Amino acid sequence: MKTITTKSASLGGNLPRREFLRLTAVSGAFLAIGCSPGMGGEGKVTTIDPAGGTDIPLNQFVVINTNGRVLLYNHRPEMGQGTFQAIPMILAEELEVDVEKIEILPSAADDKRYGSQMVVGSRSIQTEYANLQNMGATAREMLKAAAAKRWEIDISQCKASGGEIIHPSGKKLTYGELVEEASKLTPPENPPLKAPGDFKVIGQPIARRDVPAKTNGAAIYGLDIQVPGMFYASVERSPVFLGKVVSFNDEKAKAVPGVKAVVKTQRNVWGHTREGVAVVADNYWAANQGRKALEIKWDTGGLEKNSSATILKKYKADATKEGVSLAEAGNVSTVGGEGKVVEAAYETPYQSHVCMEPMNATVSVKDGKAEFWGSTQNPNGIRSQLARQLNIDPENVAINYTFMGGGFGRRSMTDVAEEAADISLQVGAPVKVVWTREDDLTQGPFRAASLNVCRGSIADGKVETLEHKVVAQEIQNQTGDKMEAGRQLMGGINTEYEIPNFRISGVLQKHYVPITYWRAVYHTTNCFAHESFIDELAIAAGKDPLDFRLDMLKNHTRYTKVLQTLAEKANWYGPREEGIGRGVSILERSGAFTGMVIEVKKENGKVKPVKITTVVDVGICINPDTVRAQTEGSIVMGLTATYKSGIRLENGAVAQSNFHDYNMLTFEECPPCETYIIQNEEKPEGAGESGLANVAPSLCNAIFDLTGVRVRKLPLDLGAIG
Amino acid sequence: MHTKSQTMASLTLRINNKDYPMEVDPQMPLLWAIRDFALLTGTKFGCGISQCGACTVHIDGESVRSCVTPVSGAVGKSITTIEGLSADNDHPVQQAWQEEQVPQCGYCQSGQMMTAAALLEKHPQPSEEQVNAYMSPIICRCGTYVRIKKAIDKAVEINQKA
Repeated sequence: MKTITTKSASLGGNLPRREFLRLTAVSGAFLAIGCSPGMGGEGKVTTIDPAGGTDIPLNQFVVINTNGRVLLYNHRPEMGQGTFQAIPMILAEELEVDVEKIEILPSAADDKRYGSQMVVGSRSIQTEYANLQNMGATAREMLKAAAAKRWEIDISQCKASGGEIIHPSGKKLTYGELVEEASKLTPPENPPLKAPGDFKVIGQPIARRDVPAKTNGAAIYGLDIQVPGMFYASVERSPVFLGKVVSFNDEKAKAVPGVKAVVKTQRNVWGHTREGVAVVADNYWAANQGRKALEIKWDTGGLEKNSSATILKKYKADATKEGVSLAEAGNVSTVGGEGKVVEAAYETPYQSHVCMEPMNATVSVKDGKAEFWGSTQNPNGIRSQLARQLNIDPENVAINYTFMGGGFGRRSMTDVAEEAADISLQVGAPVKVVWTREDDLTQGPFRAASLNVCRGSIADGKVETLEHKVVAQEIQNQTGDKMEAGRQLMGGINTEYEIPNFRISGVLQKHYVPITYWRAVYHTTNCFAHESFIDELAIAAGKDPLDFRLDMLKNHTRYTKVLQTLAEKANWYGPREEGIGRGVSILERSGAFTGMVIEVKKENGKVKPVKITTVVDVGICINPDTVRAQTEGSIVMGLTATYKSGIRLENGAVAQSNFHDYNMLTFEECPPCETYIIQNEEKPEGAGESGLANVAPSLCNAIFDLTGVRVRKLPLDLGAIG
Repeated sequence: MHTKSQTMASLTLRINNKDYPMEVDPQMPLLWAIRDFALLTGTKFGCGISQCGACTVHIDGESVRSCVTPVSGAVGKSITTIEGLSADNDHPVQQAWQEEQVPQCGYCQSGQMMTAAALLEKHPQPSEEQVNAYMSPIICRCGTYVRIKKAIDKAVEINQKA
């Protein structure tokens, strides 16, 4: 149970209300720039059409105005991944409307109507494609049926095109003329779907509708939210994870003009309770200044003795354990035999998400109800969290989600909303909690650090055995006594290679450093180790690394196509330029297959990547421009994690604090990137993490190719390569 | 541990050719005056220590990091934020950013565009070194650099046609 050591009187009632820019309820302008309505919002858009008419829904995604205007609801929050455009494109394809004329609106957060609205793991298109096709087609068939009825002909004689139903004679009725009748019809169960060859919208590089709002400051992010009567909170948390508040002195904090209250607060991160002291003020700067004036005594319980070095030491000691088998075939005890044995261990650090928009949440708790505004990958998760924590019915929690200034997995967590709700409850007014960059970088949660131990043997130029042991924390198993590693730990280890004897195992680590999902998750650590080790085996076998992979995947059509295309696009078999090293890597993530070749050269004694060629197979590609953008972004994030930054722990806490010591790849450092998309008619897969995990192994393989130095520890120092 | 003045002052900022009177701590960074008092939220908070560039605005035509500029230092000067870069979202940099589909999450892009606009104002035909010098200090976590590069070339082109 939590003890509240300080509690102010309710702040809500006795302070002058400020004038607020936005958001008293949901307005049309607000919807248009990307903030969802809190509850039951769909009905409210009937008022926003200046041209008049009535908006009539045909289902929860498709609304048509009697004046012909087409409104499509997007039920997935946008963090840069591009589903804001891709989801309506799928609907528009089947609905047979001009994609230039549709209007896209964010839907309410409502899992009863929309199912999951969580944007994680590049799954939005992968999991929603069939449903969205069906929703678009259902609406189209209802419009056709209404026309058929009016014309007294069979529905099969009606054709839908460009927002109109066309009679065999050539006469037409617009969707606006038909929608009222159509809405009264029973939706068909299995509406016919278009063949990929007939697609007019899907596969086109259509400009994103959220872009204009992102070039003039109009797009609204969580941090931009202002609600009437709102206060700002800045929270001091223990620099050593899990530190408990022993006592605090808030006298000086309360003397800062604008500071209204100081309260103890807490949030939950994967089962661990994290405590803090919040300074609440009528503006952010005052809250932040007040926070700096706090004096807090923490109990860090000996955890301050931990560091990256002590953690690695423990991982190395535990790496001698057999571990839990996560996947295996044949018998790895045959290792050696007549063959040549290769052994290598790879280390990766914790990584921070560092979304450009620092963590924040605005919550109002009042009279047994709660309302949230902010940038989240998990709107319905926040509803559940607030209902649980406040012990109220989920129906009494309204969720308004905005554009996110980056997510990368961090915004799938509900901890910041929890903190804001806790503070709002205590002070009796709406509260916006704003994390500083330092909070973000030092509190985590982070991508897991790992130690990967690989052992393999080569006989007759082929891999005879391969063992890959992952020593790491597991996201879904961070507290409690269960010490058995789960399959989450083996993400990104390619089990498609035809290797007669292999074993993938996990040795679970449990300790105080908080971890969570980070773009592409375990793929980013495991694939670095696995694809580096495949390269080491290729070298040991005396084989070309690309051919070596092709040979082990000859029965896998899609990987083969990716590798062959990659060889062609990167001119792998062509003449090699002097002083250029090349490395290759392949990966499957969220159903998408990618291959990457990185070229490096030495300049002023420093190795640098000079060209990156990526081949992506995402199945049916909804918007190729978005898939390219996601690949380019994945590459930049991958390069940053490979050679710019890694979280270091000293004295139980994160040693870095901001961008000056946790560096990001810069504009100037970004090498030319070429991305090629394979065309096929496989079902659409996830493109958002496409390629990220290929960056570290293909770069390190290229460095080996150029210099003979094998990198087995990240982040690497490009200046220190011999 | 008080390092800042605790005195409040009444002052007026001129932002995008409009006056914004406010009562604030004169030591407060301009960023928070723009965002939380003038309620112009296009200018973003990214680091607070002048390391990411998300908060870049123009003061008397020069690009400035508003997160480390005390509000007192901006009084009597002409401040331009992303909202004031053009009336219709059609500054050559904004046009180019749209044509090249630069933004992903979009959060850093105000800072990117304000910096690019300052670059092109000073150097209408920038060299690669000038582009790098202006743009490299502005961080984009989504990794839109490839497109920013193209968009700057495009903005130069649009400028020439105009």
